[in-house]
Amino acid sequence: MTDTVAESIRQDLDQGQVLRTAAGARRRRYALVVLGWLVFIGLWWLLALWVGSEARLPSPGRVFQEVLAILQEDFWAQFWASIVRVVAGFFAAVLIGTPVGLLMGRSKYWSNFLQSPVVVAGSIPGLTYAVMAFVVFGISFWGPVLAVGLIAMPYVAINVAEGMRGVDRRLVDMSTAYGRNERQVFRHVVIPSVLPFVFAGVRLSFSLAWKVGTLTEVFGSSKGIGFQIRRNYQLFNMPGVIAWVLLFVLFMLLIERFILVRLERRLFRWRQWEREA
Amino acid sequence: MTAAPVALPEAPAPQGGLRRWLASPVGAQITAAVVFIGAWQLLTVIAPRVPGPAVVANFLFVEITGGPHGGIVRGQFFEHFAVTLQRFSLGLFFGFISGLLVGILIGSSSLARALLSDTVLVLLTMPAFVWAFLTTMWFGITWQAPVLTVAFSAFPFVAINVAQGVRAIAPELRNMSTAFEVGKWKQFRHLTVPAVAGYIFAGLRFAIIIGWNGILLSEWFSGQAGVGFRTRYWFDANRYRGFVGWVIVFIVFIVLVDRVILNRLQARAFRWRDQKEVDFIEIEEEQVGL
Repeated sequence: MTDTVAESIRQDLDQGQVLRTAAGARRRRYALVVLGWLVFIGLWWLLALWVGSEARLPSPGRVFQEVLAILQEDFWAQFWASIVRVVAGFFAAVLIGTPVGLLMGRSKYWSNFLQSPVVVAGSIPGLTYAVMAFVVFGISFWGPVLAVGLIAMPYVAINVAEGMRGVDRRLVDMSTAYGRNERQVFRHVVIPSVLPFVFAGVRLSFSLAWKVGTLTEVFGSSKGIGFQIRRNYQLFNMPGVIAWVLLFVLFMLLIERFILVRLERRLFRWRQWEREA
Repeated sequence: MTAAPVALPEAPAPQGGLRRWLASPVGAQITAAVVFIGAWQLLTVIAPRVPGPAVVANFLFVEITGGPHGGIVRGQFFEHFAVTLQRFSLGLFFGFISGLLVGILIGSSSLARALLSDTVLVLLTMPAFVWAFLTTMWFGITWQAPVLTVAFSAFPFVAINVAQGVRAIAPELRNMSTAFEVGKWKQFRHLTVPAVAGYIFAGLRFAIIIGWNGILLSEWFSGQAGVGFRTRYWFDANRYRGFVGWVIVFIVFIVLVDRVILNRLQARAFRWRDQKEVDFIEIEEEQVGL
């Protein structure tokens, strides 16, 4: 009797040990990541000391001051301008890319027909879209929207086509056998299985589209992050350029990690069983 | 008179053949190209400022053969293209080698991974035009600016792909090789290289696409020669036929290199693999997973 009790206690202890080492490992990893950032900033600082010129490479402290100044000034207004445009661009991309993808996924002929245009559109350098948007719209709200829409569209189309091919044939057959009409099948079978692929297309092109969106703001905008980077570049204000770039990068990483990853998990939740299988 | 009934059943055959050809993959692609050029031509009717296909083709002919564009400006295709190719390959070389080294480091050591992966992620998020601006502010209008723009923008893509490849080497195979006393060199040759080669290739492909965009931007903003510079030259001169012509040149170049040369090379090098063709989009899917 005492043996079994001792045994179970020992087991509990062992389990606690395992949990504690897991937590310890996680803590160690976080510590290393923080250390990584410190090393990054440290190297930057040393390099700045060695260069010794604020106009060439400002120190991290100087850039931090600049970041604070921007945050107090008009950071949110500028960011908001960029966000609205990029989101509108994605909206356009989904609106055009989804039907194209549906067509490609449904018919062999249209798949062949649209294959090359979509592939070529996917490898066009962002500069082209940015300048084209500027030529078409001048300095306007719609330039970045057009550029983002064009750059994200092929990704959405290819993913939707992939999703269409992945629609479970048996589910469609069964729905038809039980007397569901085409519209009901589309609404309740096709759309739920294609929707995650639309999202995947947006997710894949997310960082690329943001880059092209800001590039378009460099050319034809009087607002937004791209415009601010360009303005500081023209004033030869190195701390300003680096501060805006840093804010942009941090913002992107935050969106990527906290919003997109979560949204993805939510949208793909119904496929849990598939992943486990 | 007897010939007529024999000829009749033959008559629809070429029509059916044409229709079948139009429905075939090649037919569909050619139809797409024709529709595209038709739509472009139509666009010039609606918006007269847009240069049509014929005008652009004529421009490209003059530019490539070095004839006069009217006035004193002559075509300068090969001069600018050669300059860009030199800088591009130099930048690609630096970006690829440094990406390879850092990627191997991140992939093989968990300490390096924890320390460096966030830095690489930050570099991955930087738009190429920022490198074009920064290098111009550092070096002025020199050859270093475009070369470094290519190197900086290509580097993180190579590093991340290589790191993923190194991490993907099956530990069971490695343990077994060690247990059966396979030599270090043999392990490297028959285990590490085949496992990582695909990822290195994917990284190289990314580096080429991203780097090409980078050099165009850098030359656009601060070049005195090169493809990007020449594109901007015509843009600033308000000669949209020149602009569109050069845009076509740099798109055709990257599509040829990526889809035709690299795709074939990849298919050849990895034909021993039992897997479908690794597509551009599919590679990127792996990319985002990290």
